[in-house]
Amino acid sequence: MEPRVAVVGIGHAGFAPITAGLSYKELMFEAAQRAYADAQVDPRADVDSFVCCSEDYLEGTSIFDEYVPDQLGAVQRPVQTVAADGLFGVATALMLIRSGAARVVAVEAHSKVSDVLTLGAIEQFAMDPVFNRPLGVPALAVAGLDMNAFLERTGLTEEHCAMVAAKNRTNALDNPRAAYPADVRPEDVEDSAPVYWPLRELEVAGRADGCVVVVLAAEERAGDLTEAPVWLLGAGWSSGSPTLESRTWGEADFVARAAERAYAMAGIEDPGEEIDLAEVDDVYAFKELQHLEALGLGTAGGLAEMLAEGELEADGDLPVNVSGGSLGQGNLFEANGLARLLECAEQLRGEAGERQVDEAYVALVQSWRGVPTTSAAVVVLGNEEGT
Amino acid sequence: MSGTRVAVVGAGMTRFMRRAQETGKELAWEAARAALDSCELTLADVDAVCLTSAPDAFDGVHMKGEYLSDGAGGFGKPFIRTYVGGGSGVFTAIQGWYTVASGMFDVALLVAEEKMSSTQPHPQGAFLTIFDNILERPLGPNLLWIFALEMNRYMSAYGLDKRDIASVAVKNKRNAAGHPAALLGQADITVDDVLASEVLAWPVQRLDVSPISDGAVAVVVASEEAAKRITDRPVWIEGVGWNLDTTYWTNRDLVYPEYVENAARMAYDMAGVKEPRRQIHVAEPYDPFDYKELHHLEGLLLFEKGKAPEAARDGVLDREGDLPSCPSGGLLGVGNPIAAAGLMKIAELFWQLRGEAGARQVPGTPERGVAQAWGDLMQVGTVVVMGNDGGPPKTAAGLPVVQTPPYTAGGHPLSDGGFRSALGAVDHRLGARYSWDAGVAVGRFLDGLRAGKILGRECRRCERVLVPPRMFCERCFRETDGWIEVEHTGTVQTYSICHVSWDMQPLDPPEMPAVISIDGSDGGFLHMLGEVDPDGVRIGMDVEAVWKPVGERAGSILDIDHFRPRRQS
Repeated sequence: MEPRVAVVGIGHAGFAPITAGLSYKELMFEAAQRAYADAQVDPRADVDSFVCCSEDYLEGTSIFDEYVPDQLGAVQRPVQTVAADGLFGVATALMLIRSGAARVVAVEAHSKVSDVLTLGAIEQFAMDPVFNRPLGVPALAVAGLDMNAFLERTGLTEEHCAMVAAKNRTNALDNPRAAYPADVRPEDVEDSAPVYWPLRELEVAGRADGCVVVVLAAEERAGDLTEAPVWLLGAGWSSGSPTLESRTWGEADFVARAAERAYAMAGIEDPGEEIDLAEVDDVYAFKELQHLEALGLGTAGGLAEMLAEGELEADGDLPVNVSGGSLGQGNLFEANGLARLLECAEQLRGEAGERQVDEAYVALVQSWRGVPTTSAAVVVLGNEEGT
Repeated sequence: MSGTRVAVVGAGMTRFMRRAQETGKELAWEAARAALDSCELTLADVDAVCLTSAPDAFDGVHMKGEYLSDGAGGFGKPFIRTYVGGGSGVFTAIQGWYTVASGMFDVALLVAEEKMSSTQPHPQGAFLTIFDNILERPLGPNLLWIFALEMNRYMSAYGLDKRDIASVAVKNKRNAAGHPAALLGQADITVDDVLASEVLAWPVQRLDVSPISDGAVAVVVASEEAAKRITDRPVWIEGVGWNLDTTYWTNRDLVYPEYVENAARMAYDMAGVKEPRRQIHVAEPYDPFDYKELHHLEGLLLFEKGKAPEAARDGVLDREGDLPSCPSGGLLGVGNPIAAAGLMKIAELFWQLRGEAGARQVPGTPERGVAQAWGDLMQVGTVVVMGNDGGPPKTAAGLPVVQTPPYTAGGHPLSDGGFRSALGAVDHRLGARYSWDAGVAVGRFLDGLRAGKILGRECRRCERVLVPPRMFCERCFRETDGWIEVEHTGTVQTYSICHVSWDMQPLDPPEMPAVISIDGSDGGFLHMLGEVDPDGVRIGMDVEAVWKPVGERAGSILDIDHFRPRRQS
């Protein structure tokens, strides 16, 4: 695949339940400055194109695209908004670079969800206005419905989901940027209140503010910008049925299709063998298991065993969400994908500190856009040893 | 530039309607099906889907792209919704270009949908929240203001005659009379009709403005190899450009859209266009208001600054003129379902460059066209150059091959009464509340207002004083250096006399919004004029802030009650 594309810089700000006193612009400026310093680029001279990822209702602003350029160093430059998770922004950057339209691209995603006082009302506005909203069912109920169907189909249990929640919240204890680290055992999770049964309180990621900016470059520039390029080996994205009445409940078929594309591009034939660590969507604990299944990293029976054997732990065969995931770091909404990419980039560079995974060469990042959507993106990353 | 050339191979659109019976999904599907039918493809032939749609607030659907995705053909496909406000429709063609030029996909379906009519009581409600949440929204701005402010600045800077500007509305509504999908085609409209129409926000009158509309447009793009398999008449995307200017529109001179010029230069460079006025044979510039088409023709480097209005007056832009502009009828004539209207311009160039535009076909053998859209806070330029490698095919007699336009003008228009009675409607009110952090810079600015001071931040490297202040300088991209108190006085950069509220109710007395350039700074902000007769306001007038009494100040932009003509110098 030509030209090859690498992550050459990454920066973040926030990752806290609230970021009082800072505007979203100031949060973005801080993350952008760190990313540009990491990549040693001057955005006014060296970045050819900018991609921002946001949704209007989460910002409380129509046409949020208006409010992004200044704090990214992107004034009077090619800038666009991708109304999706940051990994779709990374996919867009890949296409921009491969098309020849840009050699260096900055991708930004943030959450300033602490500004939103009525998140439930907004999430309900994601439901079909004619069929679903009159029922008064909140969007979160979709997660409960999907979890029940998933457990029924696979034979996995509430206990397995509780183990995921406990693992990720505990992993976050080693992550200085995590918003919700906690020493939690599976029993604590199972004892927590049901929100939309079978989904329980400690299985739902708490909200957080934060911003991540990633700088990607074509191979010809990557060599100048970093000594530790993290190569974008593959990317895939896909949508399923947004309509509740016609989707495949309990199964992330859209994640499977996205993964198929990403693996094909990366030349990965046996993901379980070839991937050294994964950061996957766990906004609801059961989703981690559902997504691992769709990613071909485990079968239903296999995942039960992997959990029991500790294989998904930081020191296991397939560390998953070593960062703490969304359950431990907080739900950063459209920035979730870039937060996962941040963790993988640090792991592949050997900069993950207490969390460093041994022999990390190839990492997988996956995002899902949350209820009630069926859109997902998958990115495969590798360091020099992993290519 | 890229490994593969990318061509437009099919296009389709729905009728543009004041209110469509169809849901947004159904509009998207109608257009997508028409586009696929036009090039005899099915969804199975499509490798990726690119969607655009303007603010979610129109539909009242959060993550609107996800909601629309199955209607747009996104089921089981790589699907991405991009978004650059009003520039989105043309941007979708740029998205389609890079999606295919990346070499990752052969055929992409591009869909632009807009259903504005869902917003109650008036679609302009969706625009109330485009303004700065801290510094502008408290003033109650509506969308007409920014157009009126920009139009006034443009007219005043060049001493333009409103008749010349109105001739654009006349041209486009006449052009649209031959368009089967048009909402406001009118063959007999005159300049006097435009000048006699209701004054909304002076200098903007009702017939200067495009209509709110529902509709969708779809386009199919393909790699060179696939395009040649699909059609013997591909229309190539030769160049693309896009550009976003600073958010701080009150810090810019609105007289000229630099961001459009930047986008045009990017697209022309890629297309190898060195003399745009000679090498471009047909143009579809963005025309939500009549003056905007002229503004944009200048930004596209097709006319000198301030010279496009006389070209309009002299017929240069007519369909039979030297540079046909908006032969489709544009937004003023066909309608303005925002994102869809932009992609309609790409579809029109496709039809014009294939000789398939029927009654709208421009004469001769156009070989290259440019489409452009604009959006955000007078901030975005999106530009696409398309060409047919040597003119549309001709018959043996040398005449262009003219075919019936291959789109299906589907869609069912509804009256308001029909909408409420026969078919039913589902009402929702969004119970959303926000509490924004003003942040470090604007927070301090608001504290200053409470104390009766206007504060700016200084960038010593760029030698600028930023009002409104920010902690970063967008030009040199470093932290600003310190606080400076600036004057309470300024000059009127531009103003409007606005006679209607956002939901189009009469205002008496009218409101007088203005952009005030603040003395001692390099910036300024939006505020209201008072203590002056509307007839007495002038651009360049010296004004001073009138503060609320100390006890009534709340740390808000409203701590300044208004600006009035300066009483002493």
